Amino acid sequence: MEAPMTLQGELDALEADILRMGEIAEHSVGRSVEALLERDVALAQAVIAEDDVIDDLYLSVDRRLLQTLALQTPVAGDLRLISAIIHINAHLERIGDMAVNISKTLLSVRDLPSSPKILSQLQEMGDVVRPMIRTSMEAFSRRDLDLCLKLPKMDDPVDRLNMGMYKEVAALASDPLLLDWGMRMNMIARNLERVGDNAVDIAEQVGFLLTGEFREFTDASHEVAPRG
Amino acid sequence: MAVTTTDVVRRNLRRQGTDWGGLLFEGALLFALLVSLGFLIILVGQILVQGLALLAERGTSFLTSQSSSLPGRAGVSQALVGSLMLMLFVVATAFPLGIAAAVYLEEYAADTRFNRFITVNVRNLAGVPSIVYGLLGLAIYVKAMSGFTGGASVISGGLTLAILVLPIVVITASEALRAVPQGIREAGYGVGATKWEVVRSHVLPAAAPGILTGTVLSLARAFGETAPLILVGAVTGVFFTGSGSLVEKFQGAYTSLPTIVYTWSKLPQAEFQKLTAAAIVVLLVMLLTVNGAAIWLRNRYERKW
Amino acid sequence: MTDESTLVPALTGALAAGVATPETAEIVFDIRNLSVLYGTFLAVRDVTLPVHRNEITALIGPSGCGKTTVLRCLNRMNDLVPTARVEGEILYHGVDLYGKDVDPVEVRRRIGMVFQKPNPFPKSIYDNIAFGPKIAGFKGDMDAVVEGSLRRAALWDEVKDKLKGSATALSGGQQQRLCIARAIAVQPDVILMDEPCSSLDPIATARIEGLMRELVADYTIVIVTHNMQQAARVSTRTGFFTVDVSEDGHRTGTLVEYDKTEVVFTRPSDPRTEDYVTGRFG
Repeated sequence: MEAPMTLQGELDALEADILRMGEIAEHSVGRSVEALLERDVALAQAVIAEDDVIDDLYLSVDRRLLQTLALQTPVAGDLRLISAIIHINAHLERIGDMAVNISKTLLSVRDLPSSPKILSQLQEMGDVVRPMIRTSMEAFSRRDLDLCLKLPKMDDPVDRLNMGMYKEVAALASDPLLLDWGMRMNMIARNLERVGDNAVDIAEQVGFLLTGEFREFTDASHEVAPRG
Repeated sequence: MAVTTTDVVRRNLRRQGTDWGGLLFEGALLFALLVSLGFLIILVGQILVQGLALLAERGTSFLTSQSSSLPGRAGVSQALVGSLMLMLFVVATAFPLGIAAAVYLEEYAADTRFNRFITVNVRNLAGVPSIVYGLLGLAIYVKAMSGFTGGASVISGGLTLAILVLPIVVITASEALRAVPQGIREAGYGVGATKWEVVRSHVLPAAAPGILTGTVLSLARAFGETAPLILVGAVTGVFFTGSGSLVEKFQGAYTSLPTIVYTWSKLPQAEFQKLTAAAIVVLLVMLLTVNGAAIWLRNRYERKW
Repeated sequence: MTDESTLVPALTGALAAGVATPETAEIVFDIRNLSVLYGTFLAVRDVTLPVHRNEITALIGPSGCGKTTVLRCLNRMNDLVPTARVEGEILYHGVDLYGKDVDPVEVRRRIGMVFQKPNPFPKSIYDNIAFGPKIAGFKGDMDAVVEGSLRRAALWDEVKDKLKGSATALSGGQQQRLCIARAIAVQPDVILMDEPCSSLDPIATARIEGLMRELVADYTIVIVTHNMQQAARVSTRTGFFTVDVSEDGHRTGTLVEYDKTEVVFTRPSDPRTEDYVTGRFG
């Protein structure tokens, strides 16, 4: 017979699962970029298969969030935590999907030529977004507002590289196969930029959890948040 | 639209004239109280003046002398002994019977029409004039059971007072039992107690203070009864109580304090008027003591559920 | 610390007589088509629900829906009401609770009850707890029983120095925990709770709910509560009752839905249940 549910017990379990999802998601992003750089088809397929783990966790967390809300009627900090976890759960699932997209893109371009310069830029993007995921997760687990506020600044190079990717790809116009490859790489850059955005969103949620106020750190329409 | 400026509010809140009706009513109530007290004070005052003077003059010999036709030698010792013995009978018979009856009525009897009929009539019995009980006592104890009681003895008198007081004991004990919160009984049943265990261990102990107070008050009532005792043969004349056997003491002549007050008050000599007053003082002192004891008991054991 | 092994044989000797074997132990109460009448008044109609062992089962619903009536049938407290009549069947570990050979006093020793308003006996704390075992014939170490019961009810530390003090001097929450300890002292199989927290403040309520979660490991608990959130927080299964008004104005309680608590509070099958738990009813 299972022990009766206590609110604190449930919250602790949900938080533990979110942190685990964060680890797996960050790992998947890293492996998908690695597969891309090494042209490692088996690794890419492994990333795609492992997304099931993230999806299962996502569904489990979602179901238990609903149950906790219905049965325990949390308020105040507990309610903000539930709200934050609802959003973070979705963002991590999205990050997992981005890793799958990157791996699927590799599978479709594995026989095409590549440009080392573009690959190194993508590697650079990957090297920035992975710490972003890690930092936002750590901000959550340590309840650290200062860490949250670091995220927008970490996103700057990712945005810059993503914007620059278009010009780099355009420069490949002379070689049709390379151009084809390059346009897919543009999509991968977009995916990595989305990963970065999701990490910033996670930090926003943690900021809400800690302060009770929701502030957009980065807004497509205008700059809002303080920088670092 | 409500006007709420300070001046307007102040004006509205000020007292609107004096409440003459209320004052008048209060005055009338006070007057009624003073009139009642007045009668009491005049009555008691008169008695105290006369009685205390005699007690001061005679001292404890008043309490230790027997009745006599000579006012200078008459005393209330037999009356005191008689009253005490009568009370003994009341305590020994009316209290256990009355309390047991109350326990049955309140805890065991089903709520049928018959039982409600009984309860109503117990109340009616409490209101029956005491002289009727005297007649009853005369017929049963003095005449029919004279072999056991010895006729007009303190046994008959005591039993007569006992049945007089019995309805009151049943009623006050019932009230005390009813005042015990139902939650306590449920708690008892809840841990698997039988009805008797619940009554014995919880209901009776909880009701005990109330029962005690009620029975002591009924004792005070019995103490002051005169008419029934005269009917069942308390001596109203002079008699001598010697050193007879215990049985003779119980089956022989007796009297009580209220009876001796009655007796003396009818005698022509002026001296006996003073004796009457003194006896009344003794009677009042005893009644106040008993009532005071009841109040003290009630305050001591008063429970807050 | 208490050695329960000496306590259990002494009581189970008395308890064991007349109880069916534990093959049906999963279901403690098998309530089938239970109806209760007070004279001609049908208070509750045709209730069927199984109560499972070592679970907290909650009965919820508006006033007058019969949930307390049903609860009081489970330990035959309704026997104390002269006009009460029970139809249908309640099987306790397979035994008909209202069978001819069944003694209600023995029933109440195994199925204890905690009431809405705390009702400690107006005696000492020690005597409150000792009463039940004493009348059950317990001859062993009463001090150990008292301490054990008070510890399990999370009251020992607060009262251990004033066991001879009056029970009515305790606060409301403490009195209710004392009543729980008193119920536990006779080592029941089941604890019935009739709105146990309705006269307590939120902190005392939270303590009692925590206590219930601990006790359910050893006892089966059935709780009637008009506080839905409490039912949601503590129970494993919930039964929702409502009042049926017939054409001639008679009000009778009925069981609408009985399911796992998370189902009742996230996706109830009956619209009446949905209306009640969302607060739209009444």
